[in-house]
Amino acid sequence: MPIIETRALRKTFRSVRRGEGLAGAIGALFSRTYDERVAVDDVTMAIGEGELVGYIGPNGAGKSTTIKMLTGILVPTSGTIEVAGIVPHEQRRRNAKNIGVVFGQRTQLYWDLPLRESFELLRSIYGIPRDRFRRNLDHFTEILALDEFMGTPVRQLSLGERMRGDFAAALLHDPRIVYLDEPTIGLDVVAKEAIRTFIAEMNRRGTTVILTTHDLADVERLCSRIVLIDNGTIIYDGSVERLRDEYGTHRTLIVHLTEPQPDFAVEGVEAESDDPLTVRLRFDRRSLTAEALIRRVTERYAITDVAINEPEIEDIVRRIYLEGYHQPPARST
Amino acid sequence: MLEAYVQFALKAIAREATYRFEVFTSIASLAVRVYLLRVVWVALYAHNAAPQGVALHTIITYSTIALLMGLVLDIDQTRLLHDKLHDGSIVVDFMKPISVPLYFFSDGTGEVLFHAALIVPSLALAAFIVHIDIPSAAVLAAFALSFFLGYFVGFFLNFILNCIAFWTLEISAVQLIVTWVTDLLGGQIVPLVFFPAALQGAIFALPFAAMYSTPLLIYVGRIPPEGYASAMGLQALWIVILGAAAALIWRAGARRVIVQGG
Repeated sequence: MPIIETRALRKTFRSVRRGEGLAGAIGALFSRTYDERVAVDDVTMAIGEGELVGYIGPNGAGKSTTIKMLTGILVPTSGTIEVAGIVPHEQRRRNAKNIGVVFGQRTQLYWDLPLRESFELLRSIYGIPRDRFRRNLDHFTEILALDEFMGTPVRQLSLGERMRGDFAAALLHDPRIVYLDEPTIGLDVVAKEAIRTFIAEMNRRGTTVILTTHDLADVERLCSRIVLIDNGTIIYDGSVERLRDEYGTHRTLIVHLTEPQPDFAVEGVEAESDDPLTVRLRFDRRSLTAEALIRRVTERYAITDVAINEPEIEDIVRRIYLEGYHQPPARST
Repeated sequence: MLEAYVQFALKAIAREATYRFEVFTSIASLAVRVYLLRVVWVALYAHNAAPQGVALHTIITYSTIALLMGLVLDIDQTRLLHDKLHDGSIVVDFMKPISVPLYFFSDGTGEVLFHAALIVPSLALAAFIVHIDIPSAAVLAAFALSFFLGYFVGFFLNFILNCIAFWTLEISAVQLIVTWVTDLLGGQIVPLVFFPAALQGAIFALPFAAMYSTPLLIYVGRIPPEGYASAMGLQALWIVILGAAAALIWRAGARRVIVQGG
């Protein structure tokens, strides 16, 4: 029984079409023509309790719109959603008790209030019993190191501090599901790592996590499953390994030569050079093993060192964004 | 659950209290306006008999009390709704297990309570500048009740205006016009009894009169005790009508929350 289930989810937005300049703006006041934009076209997915799913796609693919429908603040144009047995847009407030949300680009903390008072306010909003509130807050204060800025108004916090505060705020009421919308955006490497560790820890404790991000290092580090969306439709849903396996068919062999070889060439492999002594060979691992390729190179050239670059998930996803996902050819084994 | 709404109001009071400079300037500007209005009315009355039987001390009392009421009624206590629609942060509130309109109501109440507390020092200051008639305790009680009803008329009017931002995201022009209309047709600047008789029927029936004019006319005794029931009945009617309109517009708006850049 999945905790989140959507079927043929669709959301379209209507916007007023405007002519150019002042005349267009005035014209739009009198006669309106509408543009229909499909934000989410057809999203069907089932997510089990305790999963940590990376929900990724290029800008405007429909990620945020899907999340907003899951939280109940947008009503789908058609299709069905159920989150922990509740239809979110019909029972928004009941659904809200089950979920926690973190936006990288927006805070749910109260701007003018010290962090501590934001938490107090959330305690009364969610009706968290005092002892549980105390226990959770102590726990988050410790692992997110919040005590240094508990008394600081939120507007004076750095982005990293604010995000840590936002994570605690989203989790104080022990939600079963947490939606994270680009939670690491704009953070430095250390802060990013702290947030990732926290996400992994919270998932280990049983929380279901939906993570949307553009930083694929987040996905590689955290997610066992990845759902790729483009133009409002799911184009891939499966494990990160399978995506790499099916799509990341090309590896790169980096060869360091003992002396420059201006007419370096290996049959059936494209070669490019960064400097006279280094050659990068991109090869399809389905038709050529690394061992065979190295053998071919060493038969002809003297080398000092080799290294193999595995396909980065980032490269794979970039190619999918550019070229679209198509079922890769069956593996030749 | 109720605790959350009390907390919203308390936090709003705390927030308003941080803008201390604004508090001083608003009291100071009120004192200046009380003085200026006195000068204007004295000059206007110098060569005229009391129009409509309104004596000079009455009109000065009326104007001063109107300015003091403005400390509360001029506040757009649901401005937060517009701001949150404008920057899209309203999504966050919709993701909480709360009634979002009640949240705005609580926050607005806190904001207004803070400003209502300023009436006391402002009144003391005004009493130095002008003479204010003090009616009987019974009239004062009726005035307080009518003022309270007028506050709700104003609340729903502001709420409806701010809800327009669901569609336009920008409301300042509409709001400016409504503020002028409220001050003029509400009787804050000039008592509505000075308006041409032909217009009075229509003006008194508008919701704006229910905000300023009704409580003020009760205060200065132009509405006698036997008229209280119908005057406040009309105010209550406006609360019901505007409240229903606010609920409708809110529901329509909430269904089409558009989050800018979301």
